[in-house]
Amino acid sequence: MNGWAGQRLRVDLTTGEITKEPLSFEYRKKWIGGRGFNSEVIYNEVPPSLDPYDPKARVCFGVGPMSGSAAPSTGRVTVTAKSPLTGGFGDANMGGHWGAEVKYAGYDQIIVQGRAKKPVYIWIDDDKVELRDAGHLWGKFPREADQMIKEELGDEDIHIMMIGPAGENMVRFACTFNDVWRAAGRTGTGGVLGSKNLKAIATRGSGTVKVADPKKLMDVCNRLRQAFKNDPMKMGLYEFGSLCLINVANRDGWFPWKNFQGGAHPDANNLSGETHAATVLKHREGCYACPICCGRFTQIKDGKYAGEEFGGPEYEHAVPTGPRVGIIDDANDIWHNCCLTNDYGMDAIECGGTIAAAMEWYQRGLITTKDTGGLELEWGNAEVVATLIEQIGQRKGFGNILAEGADRASDKLGLGDEGHYYTITTRGMTLPGDDPRGLGFGYGLSFSVGTRGGCDHLRSLCCLELSGALYPGLNTRLLGDESACKPVTVNSKPYMVYYEENQKATTDCLNVCCFTTHWSYAVLTPDQVEYLNAVTGLDFTEEDFQEVGERIYNLERAYWNRCMSGSREDTVPERFLKEPMPQGVDYQTNVGVTFPLNDMLSQYYRYRDWDSKSGFPSERKLKQLGLDYVAKDLAPLRSKYVSETEKKKKKYYV
Amino acid sequence: MAVMTKAQAKKFNEMTDKMIDVLNFLKSNKVIDDSEHRSILLKGFSKLVDLLQEKKVINAKDAKAAMNGGFDSLLVSLS
Repeated sequence: MNGWAGQRLRVDLTTGEITKEPLSFEYRKKWIGGRGFNSEVIYNEVPPSLDPYDPKARVCFGVGPMSGSAAPSTGRVTVTAKSPLTGGFGDANMGGHWGAEVKYAGYDQIIVQGRAKKPVYIWIDDDKVELRDAGHLWGKFPREADQMIKEELGDEDIHIMMIGPAGENMVRFACTFNDVWRAAGRTGTGGVLGSKNLKAIATRGSGTVKVADPKKLMDVCNRLRQAFKNDPMKMGLYEFGSLCLINVANRDGWFPWKNFQGGAHPDANNLSGETHAATVLKHREGCYACPICCGRFTQIKDGKYAGEEFGGPEYEHAVPTGPRVGIIDDANDIWHNCCLTNDYGMDAIECGGTIAAAMEWYQRGLITTKDTGGLELEWGNAEVVATLIEQIGQRKGFGNILAEGADRASDKLGLGDEGHYYTITTRGMTLPGDDPRGLGFGYGLSFSVGTRGGCDHLRSLCCLELSGALYPGLNTRLLGDESACKPVTVNSKPYMVYYEENQKATTDCLNVCCFTTHWSYAVLTPDQVEYLNAVTGLDFTEEDFQEVGERIYNLERAYWNRCMSGSREDTVPERFLKEPMPQGVDYQTNVGVTFPLNDMLSQYYRYRDWDSKSGFPSERKLKQLGLDYVAKDLAPLRSKYVSETEKKKKKYYV
Repeated sequence: MAVMTKAQAKKFNEMTDKMIDVLNFLKSNKVIDDSEHRSILLKGFSKLVDLLQEKKVINAKDAKAAMNGGFDSLLVSLS
């Protein structure tokens, strides 16, 4: 079989049963791989009413037909589960080398279900799969546990997926890692693995990926590598990592200062990629087959954290644990916080966002030191932030409440609507550190409808407005409107979001990094179709390819609808709708802007063919996509949701 | 070939987001069919221009202008 391994591995931790299930040709063509396979399993095997921590819940790891091939950046893995943070559909996506190793071991997907009686890890050595004791690994940081497993198995070259202590403690935003530092950050999949007593999946694969037309694949890859050489986004990402965005964010007013109370700060350069590279960058790291190499490895050189080392940071790592909580003077405090979130294994966006919400509750007198165990949550108090990160990871003290995520913590503290005003979330998930009043109205629209809650650059970012200006003519070619590359305009944004969401869903089926597709535009959709066909020997058209993305998007949306989440929840935090952007620096370009969601949302629904009242996909659309069974599932819920909407307020999580 | 009036083109030009309304108009006037409507939505503006040129609704010069000027240019050619 070309491209795919043709089977998935299912491990039941309750019974110890390990099975290999073939994946039919029709199934592979309908869902392609990665996110497609995973979303299909979650929709069909995890009822919306099931507690995410119930042993019957599933966690899926999916790779695509390109994974492990020579095509650029094909090392990513999609991790999917019912989210303990939002209660709805959840997934995340990580780089590294583990994805390719899973493929070499002979699997397109791994499904984990059940709950082990005691901590275990799974050891996959090609065909041989076994459960091994992980009691001695429990409580260890990934950097320690990774080395212990490698020593135990006597192989330094294996690749390991793992959770940290936060996952073991079922922090609702714990993430999964591979190769120690590469995180699938969002939606709390690490906590689901912790609930199953699963510490890690160690993998060794000795197989290969069969390619239908190797010459064609190499021709395409060589062409794309040439295109990457002078790509402007590639150059910024290589030189400065995703921290290259810090100064851009500050200039354009989407830098999340103090929980988005501001959008720019005169000292933002303290944590820029340029400053990081000149002070603490130890070396660069690349994922499997990556022509960009955006990964950083940091060593703090001076101050009280001198000598500390860690993989990272990313923009969405440093910003939430720095400026979002008011830390900006000493970047070493921020690097230290990044190191802590890595070691405990937590989504830095959710962790920093939840602490930022708590700081604003404190600022406005909604909570006091009586609630926080004596901690004074003043903006920029680096010691308190570091303490809270550790408390959250260990589920101790006030951190035990914050470990529930911002919206649930607000409810546990009884803060009512005012508390939720300061949780910068959509569908229960904290938005990343990018203010839609500056980064773009398309980006904000995609937050409101994202199928995993408030999303980020790996899922919903409309790169056509972030980097479209670097590629003159591109917005015209795709949208018919060059003005759409301006962030603060509604022009063509509904169509942009529809197009980009479909495109990113299919990219996640190939498990190709979005930095090499529609972030940098060296690789466009027709190029992806070309290399997919070269590997699989099939004859996907561009339309087939984009339709798979549309199918996945609607399936994930339908999962939320079955959780009774629809049009009422399609919104963004009120701050962005009501509060004009204040001036932070004199060169800021978006002072006074608010986010006009209502000017775009109904038009977006028209592209999606979603019902204007409920926000549910129409029966016609679902049938067009071959999702007749989904149409049947939603039929009894449509009118129920609409009548419920008239009586009840939106759900912050389900 | 004119498939809309100047007034209709002006109305489309005033819209901040045009794609779906232009495609719906072309479909209701039988310039494109259902499956072409769907295909263009999935693939983007350049596919609309290609298809209209293929159908000889616009000529090569208009198509080139549309690829540079987007809907602003295309709507002039269609009206």
